[in-house]
Amino acid sequence: MPYEPKIIAYLCSWCSYTGADTAGIARLKSPPNIRDIRVPCSGRVSPEIIMRTFQQGADGVLVLGCHIGECHYDTGNHRAAKRLPVLRALMAYAGLEPERVRLDWVSASEGERFSRIATEFTEAVRDLGPIHWKIGDRDARFVWEQEPISHRYSAFSDEQPKHAVYFTPVHEQQAQAIRAAATELLTNKQVDCVIGYEMGPRGRTRPAFVHQPEDVDRLVWNQDCTHNLTAYLSKKLGWGTDGGKKKQPDRLPKAAVVAKPCDSRSINVMLAENRFLREQIYIIGMACDGIRQGAGFNDEKSGAIQTRCAACNVRTPVVYDTLIGEPENTFREIPPEHIYPGIEHLDTLTSAERMEFWLSQFDRCIRCYACRQVCPMCDCPICLYERDDSLWVGMGNDVDEKRTFHLGRAYHLAGRCVGCNECERACPMDIPLSLIHRKMAQEMENIFSFRAGMAAVPPPFVTILGGEENLP
Amino acid sequence: MNYLTRQELAAWLDRLAQEQTLIAPLDIAGNILYRPVADTHEVVWNFVRSFMSVKEVFFPRTERLMLIEKIGADVKLTETLPDEKSIIFGVRPCDARGLLTLDALFIDNEPIDPYYAKRRENTTLIGLACQSLGPSCFCTNVGGAPDDPAGMDIMLTASGDGYVAEIITEKGEKISKRFPVFDGLSEIRPHPSPARKHGLKIAPKEFWPAKFNDDFWAEMAERCLSCRICAYVCPSCRCFDVRDEALPGGDGQSQSERVRCWDSCNGIPYRRVAGGHNPRFMKNQRLRNRFYCKFYYFPIHYGPVSCTGCGRCIDACPVNVDITEVLGYVGRR
Repeated sequence: MPYEPKIIAYLCSWCSYTGADTAGIARLKSPPNIRDIRVPCSGRVSPEIIMRTFQQGADGVLVLGCHIGECHYDTGNHRAAKRLPVLRALMAYAGLEPERVRLDWVSASEGERFSRIATEFTEAVRDLGPIHWKIGDRDARFVWEQEPISHRYSAFSDEQPKHAVYFTPVHEQQAQAIRAAATELLTNKQVDCVIGYEMGPRGRTRPAFVHQPEDVDRLVWNQDCTHNLTAYLSKKLGWGTDGGKKKQPDRLPKAAVVAKPCDSRSINVMLAENRFLREQIYIIGMACDGIRQGAGFNDEKSGAIQTRCAACNVRTPVVYDTLIGEPENTFREIPPEHIYPGIEHLDTLTSAERMEFWLSQFDRCIRCYACRQVCPMCDCPICLYERDDSLWVGMGNDVDEKRTFHLGRAYHLAGRCVGCNECERACPMDIPLSLIHRKMAQEMENIFSFRAGMAAVPPPFVTILGGEENLP
Repeated sequence: MNYLTRQELAAWLDRLAQEQTLIAPLDIAGNILYRPVADTHEVVWNFVRSFMSVKEVFFPRTERLMLIEKIGADVKLTETLPDEKSIIFGVRPCDARGLLTLDALFIDNEPIDPYYAKRRENTTLIGLACQSLGPSCFCTNVGGAPDDPAGMDIMLTASGDGYVAEIITEKGEKISKRFPVFDGLSEIRPHPSPARKHGLKIAPKEFWPAKFNDDFWAEMAERCLSCRICAYVCPSCRCFDVRDEALPGGDGQSQSERVRCWDSCNGIPYRRVAGGHNPRFMKNQRLRNRFYCKFYYFPIHYGPVSCTGCGRCIDACPVNVDITEVLGYVGRR
């Protein structure tokens, strides 16, 4: 029997579903491969649904909605128009041909257009052949045997490390400035808690929570301050039931946080999402010239700085109340392909090779959820991928399920991820998560010219298309 | 005593691998993990400790307990007991101790876990004594030792270019007889193992109840992220969740499976009950539970402390929550 693609079409109830009816009434031919699912609006077709559709064995997914300007909910299709290109980019990066997802507009009267799009799409998917997305075998093992992708590439790996000196006097000065600021804030009761860095018992730098002015001497600042402390803010200031310290009910909880420039960007994202109010936080901004590789885990006192820092050109926090340190204004000239050579390399591979690469990476995942827990952006009370009803993904350790989780998370972070790299650092299995999150950030920049967290504005997905804005 | 050169040992393992599954430490993208091997050339011989413990061989991350099939009006249940015979090479003493801890729960006390018991029965452990201690190892403080043969079937200790082998159990005797490399004639004795004395004293279980309401737990937990790394890398953590999940596809028959997956008391959903109430909603309660379980609840119910001093949780924690710091606090009295 010749190969017949299985195509799922999500049709907007108002325009496209009626359009498909019109095609039928007019006795226009449309391929029998298409299984229609009627949805209230194309904006309702969230990317999770599309990924799930592929996971369940669809060869192609067609999403049809009303023309822009004709949505029955005004802007539902704007959301579809913004999400789908990003999803396509993500799926393509993970090894699915982007042609397997198509978004188009069909109005109720355009029977002919429906029939044409359906035929075109079916033929396109037929040419691509059967999908190999679903693995199904729990015990399948994936080991990437091609040349290694040096995702931990350092721009300075072959040179003398630029920051071989560890505790420089500048660091001590900055630490003293942090302590002074913390003492003042705590003494004046401006904040309940100062979140900073301290040295752990093994000489590893780790997050510190200072509640009393007497304890500020614990605070340090050095090249190992890699943790993004803003991850603690939402739980401390928002619904605040997870901290362990009782809140004073008569006033808003307030906290001060030591923030590097990258961390300050995540504060902006959280402010745009209304997780807490600006007056609830006092930001001790740090001028930063890079964090050491391996920071937070081993206690070596030298080494090259992290790749992301080598390429960073935001040396001053984008939002702060006090700025400590002199920002260095000479940026390192590093060609973009040297920053994440893994992304460049992956882009040159075929879809099948990319898929194998990612499967071999996700295969190692143990679903400890450290990537999610350490992320300032991941703050859902119950994660979509960890629901008791296993609605979106099972709880097992199959590579399918792990891929669903990681791709889903990557999509949820598109336009929100500021590149603090905490997920990759926390990952005990060294999954190169930065490759996927940086790629999504690049796509957001290409498609929407948007960089997450540079200002406290919502990411493009939740906004409508402006008049002057073209369809992505 | 038996003395084997590395080549003899490798050849012996290669031949055993033809009969049974050989599981040995492999380097997978920079992580040492116990995985089935086809060829002993891939085996990593020198390592401090693997990233994940051998626990995952006996108590896998995900395991099908039974298959549920609906055929017409009937429901068919098929239990899926493991029957594969395997040999694990290169087990560290801390991991073997971890297995003894799991045995206390899964085998020595009712109800016996048939899946775990079956795997234990079918698996032979070839231990490898540690040549050096990692910076976070503290096995000597919880009663272990870098050359502790407890729980092993055969214990190997590196000596010069080869290994001194000690056959400990009948199971070990059996595989050693499969191919004649163990002559029992060698005079070579293993080198004394590296010993390390920490000031750390493990608090006896009587110390713990008085500390239950201390502010210390809130202070420790403030930085905890509530991820599950510590429990998943731990050789003696053994909590799991069981769920019935639908299997997609099938030939017109509706199939589902009962799966068991690892779980951790650090995760927020772990303690959630019907109706949505969560008695351990605060993360200090969750973190405290982890340590009380290891050093108070488990000893009360099963005897040994449920910590083998491997130090994996110390190295894997992204925010440096340190078990030795906790032990130091509780031991101070």
